[in-house]
Amino acid sequence: MKNLTPLAQTYVDRFSAASGSLPGHNSPAVAALRKSGLARFASLDFPGRKVEEWRFTNLTALTKGIKTTDAPANAALPAAEFETPHVMTFVNGRFSEQDSRLDRLPDGVKLTSLAAELDVGNSALLGTEADDKRAVVALNTAFMEDGVVLNAAPGVTLDAPILIRFVSVAGTGANAHHMRNVIHLGEKATVTLVEEHAGVDGHAYFANPVTDITLDKGARLNHYKYQAESADAFHLANTDTELAEGAVYENFALSTGARLSRNELETRILGGGAESILNGAYLMRGTQHCDTTTITRHLVPENVSRQIYKGILDDEAQGVFQGKIQIVPDAQQVSGDQLSRALLLSDRASVAVKPELEIHADDVKCSHGASSGELDEDALFYLQSRGIEEKTARKMLIDAFLADVLEEVSNDDVREYFAAVTARWMDKV
Amino acid sequence: MLEIKNLHATVGGKEILKGINLTIKAGEIHAIMGPNGAGKSTLSYVLAGRDGYEVTSGEVLYKGEDLLALSPDERASKGIFLAFQYPVEIPGVASATFLKTAYNAQRKYRGEPEVDAMEFLKLIREKTKELDIKDDMLKRAVNVGFSGGEKKRNEVLQMSLLEPDLMLLDETDSGLDIDALKIAADGVNRLRSPERAGLIITHYQRLLDYIVPDFVHVLADGKIVKSGDKSLAHELEEKGYAALSAA
Repeated sequence: MKNLTPLAQTYVDRFSAASGSLPGHNSPAVAALRKSGLARFASLDFPGRKVEEWRFTNLTALTKGIKTTDAPANAALPAAEFETPHVMTFVNGRFSEQDSRLDRLPDGVKLTSLAAELDVGNSALLGTEADDKRAVVALNTAFMEDGVVLNAAPGVTLDAPILIRFVSVAGTGANAHHMRNVIHLGEKATVTLVEEHAGVDGHAYFANPVTDITLDKGARLNHYKYQAESADAFHLANTDTELAEGAVYENFALSTGARLSRNELETRILGGGAESILNGAYLMRGTQHCDTTTITRHLVPENVSRQIYKGILDDEAQGVFQGKIQIVPDAQQVSGDQLSRALLLSDRASVAVKPELEIHADDVKCSHGASSGELDEDALFYLQSRGIEEKTARKMLIDAFLADVLEEVSNDDVREYFAAVTARWMDKV
Repeated sequence: MLEIKNLHATVGGKEILKGINLTIKAGEIHAIMGPNGAGKSTLSYVLAGRDGYEVTSGEVLYKGEDLLALSPDERASKGIFLAFQYPVEIPGVASATFLKTAYNAQRKYRGEPEVDAMEFLKLIREKTKELDIKDDMLKRAVNVGFSGGEKKRNEVLQMSLLEPDLMLLDETDSGLDIDALKIAADGVNRLRSPERAGLIITHYQRLLDYIVPDFVHVLADGKIVKSGDKSLAHELEEKGYAALSAA
């Protein structure tokens, strides 16, 4: 057997001891699932840079082992800023009832914790993933602790967004969280979900959330994610979404946190008239690294995907955008558009962009665009020449750069919330 | 108001201004004419404080103060306004936001109270009416999708709003048809007063029929080679710059 990276070896060594206390340990089906996850993980290891999909994101800092945290234990949870009647909170990977409020959910919306589902042996809600080549997903399957299990009955429309918080604080055994979320919307159900990942300053940890989403005919999920992990954290997220006929998936990822993060979205469009809308903004400074990787698979005719990602990179921050659009043979009358733009505020900041169109049908409309550049000096001088201070002028231009992608957030409250977050980030530019 | 003394400036290491001397007193309008490449736009950018325009010797006093030590926004707030030859398009910034931010930034700098949105709207509507500018322009992004004429009129609108003490107009006539030229000139003339001064940079005499200058200077190869009254502009129009440079 080949040598594993130090962190992977730790996981393999720990598995037997750990699995006895993980949720669902009494269920043979869950145990089998975990075991197969570990076996796949052990054969894959964390991807090195020779793996094509990971060419631009180097995990060495993670795989050599996470440093001991500097954060004080039992620091107060970062407060939730987004206000909504429905809140589900996970602290250090476990559902925290006292920080949650789920009693106002309407009939037809069932929200439970994954741990509870696994403890009753409900392994069926997790599909088979024998062919999955993603090491961190396999690792998640082996060690999954908890997460959101959301089921919306057909026709249900949820009045207000559900806020799901994943909060990391220092404390014993708190340096890795393998969250597993399973979301299913029945026919014509409509739900808005706001996912927030946060950690206390100075806390070093590895967050490895995996989310499986299934949208039945005509369902709509507005899925917003704010990644504000601590500056010492690693965040590797995978979200898989399947869309049936006429379903709409709107995703917006706002990322400001983590030392190293990757947000990977794979969308499988399985129905005509379905729409996949993936957008995002990442604001990075210092030596932060932020990777957005999307794979959009158009597997049947007559559907639509669009994507706009915008990044602002200051200091020595690095951005990565990899976007693949696949259109299989016979998936005619499909349109797929993708745009990636990065604004570099420093000459040491950088971005790597890899658009990939894999088109096997001839009656389709596809586009991709990528650009990166600095702030427009002409525009900056123009604003200053009217009496606007340089700092304010820069902010106006950065704001303008982000304006159109933020407009894509269809929920007004979330859009305002995200605008406030970006404004606060810009105050420190 | 403005004293330029032996001003030398380089752009990208190349000397463009080679010893400019010019004094503009309050109440005066001066015109600088000259062939392409004479350094006209460089002079306007040096006065407005653009990066990359390096003053190698000489000095510029504005109201007795060292102008070159001030940042572009400070110069603006102290009353200098440059109407750009090529106004810059700024996608994503609404014209109304831009104008209000600039207006209040200058007021704040001068220790005057900032105006609120309602007050500002009233003020800007007066100005757009004077300059025959449609209000919907205020909702559009700064200069984005504007025609050449609209951009120039937008410059004059900003100037009317900010009411500078020293107006610098860089080729404001280019791209304007005769009606738009008259409106723009009216905007400038409305601001003329014994307390204000202006420097009009132009290639053609046409604009000077509408904004009549007190003095006309000819700039060639980085120096003022001839100065006179408004009749000099007509002379240039008839004989051309070549004849004058030879003289």
